[in-house]
Amino acid sequence: MRGGDRDAYAELVNRHAPVAIRTAALLGAGGEAEDVVQEAFVKAYAALDRFLPGAPFRSWLLRIVANETHNLHRASGRRMARERRAWEQSQPLLLARPDDPAEALLSLERQSALVRGVARLSPEHRQVVTCRYLLDLDEAETAAVLGWPRGTVKSRLRRALIKLGDMLDTEASRDRTSEVTQGG
Amino acid sequence: MAEGRYDDLVRDLATLGRGIDPPVPSEGLTTAVMDRVAALPTPDRPVNAWTRVLRRTGRWVVDSVESRRRRVALVFGAVLLALLAAPPVRAAVVDWFGFGGVLVEQGPSGPGAAPPPPDVAQDWSVSEAAAAVDFTLSVPEDLGDPDGVEVSPDRRLVSMSWATDEDGLVRLDQFDARFDFSVLKRAPGVFYAAVGGTDALWFEEPHEVVLLEPDGSRRTESARLAGHTLIWLDDVTTMRLEGDLSLERAVEIAESCVTVE
Repeated sequence: MRGGDRDAYAELVNRHAPVAIRTAALLGAGGEAEDVVQEAFVKAYAALDRFLPGAPFRSWLLRIVANETHNLHRASGRRMARERRAWEQSQPLLLARPDDPAEALLSLERQSALVRGVARLSPEHRQVVTCRYLLDLDEAETAAVLGWPRGTVKSRLRRALIKLGDMLDTEASRDRTSEVTQGG
Repeated sequence: MAEGRYDDLVRDLATLGRGIDPPVPSEGLTTAVMDRVAALPTPDRPVNAWTRVLRRTGRWVVDSVESRRRRVALVFGAVLLALLAAPPVRAAVVDWFGFGGVLVEQGPSGPGAAPPPPDVAQDWSVSEAAAAVDFTLSVPEDLGDPDGVEVSPDRRLVSMSWATDEDGLVRLDQFDARFDFSVLKRAPGVFYAAVGGTDALWFEEPHEVVLLEPDGSRRTESARLAGHTLIWLDDVTTMRLEGDLSLERAVEIAESCVTVE
């Protein structure tokens, strides 16, 4: 590898490492996020001849990160068990609160209700919500990372939002009912 | 449905995402990656590509991808040919039979062990591949979603691979099996097995696999050594599972196949 190429790749690693680690963490890599990302960068280099001309590097890298994260949980057996393990790793990140309460962006109630809702989504719906909204990837990147067609991303996203909205509404109306009951 | 309700939800989900305090890359990450990358065998294409990376902002162009694709198009012809490694036999070909588009010849004995199967690029999703070919694809539930999916340029062969802890690298090739070979014979080194009540072939010995062009000639550059392989038929699709598997495990994986809708 020539010196200039080394510098170019080191620069790509520097630039994309934060989003890669964030992605690995939210997809369930837990404490192994950095190892996953290191592996992904090495694989990305080794597989460069499979890289499609004109495709954005970030999507491609994040796709490899997602695969590596997925591989972490292979030992957990069947698919549902693996998905559960992954969610157990990412949930604490979503539930964490800043040390200074004034810095909190959402109320504690709203934050925990959202996380409870996301927890109850199917793995596919949770993945699409994680990529599109929590990681703030655009629709094309979400499709690339999850390896789904664009149309699938759109339809799953729509259904995930409806389900999440329904769950939050049901919870809210149950809370209201119990207040009325208590009040009466 | 009240759009406003979902706007709020989307906004709050984005806020939830922004509020996350994710692990940050350690200072040693880049060095660790670069050390490992430097230790890799130097591939020509990536080096060329890096030069281009430097010149083109944010976009990577790999000039050799097109030529590679053309080569693959030639390689994936019609059928797979498996050369069996039999006990020392000097004659190159003493027997042959066909099974769902797989032509089997008995050949000279090969080395004692086969390398793991080649893994598959992450070019396609399973559903994209299913939509691209006109036979029905299946995925073994036991292995979950594949790590790589490829469709041959002539759309007749779909390959998938999984890097598993339990079974190492496992590869599944599926292709349209509507080929007709009139002779089916038993040959040493290959065994009959059953997958879900239908006939299957089990290759216990390391054997050479060669792809054939539509005219039947061999693409010698595609030849590779394969290890344990199970071949079975699913309707008009020939399934070929390869990896460091016992026959029992291979059948278990094969029987967990679920059709992709």
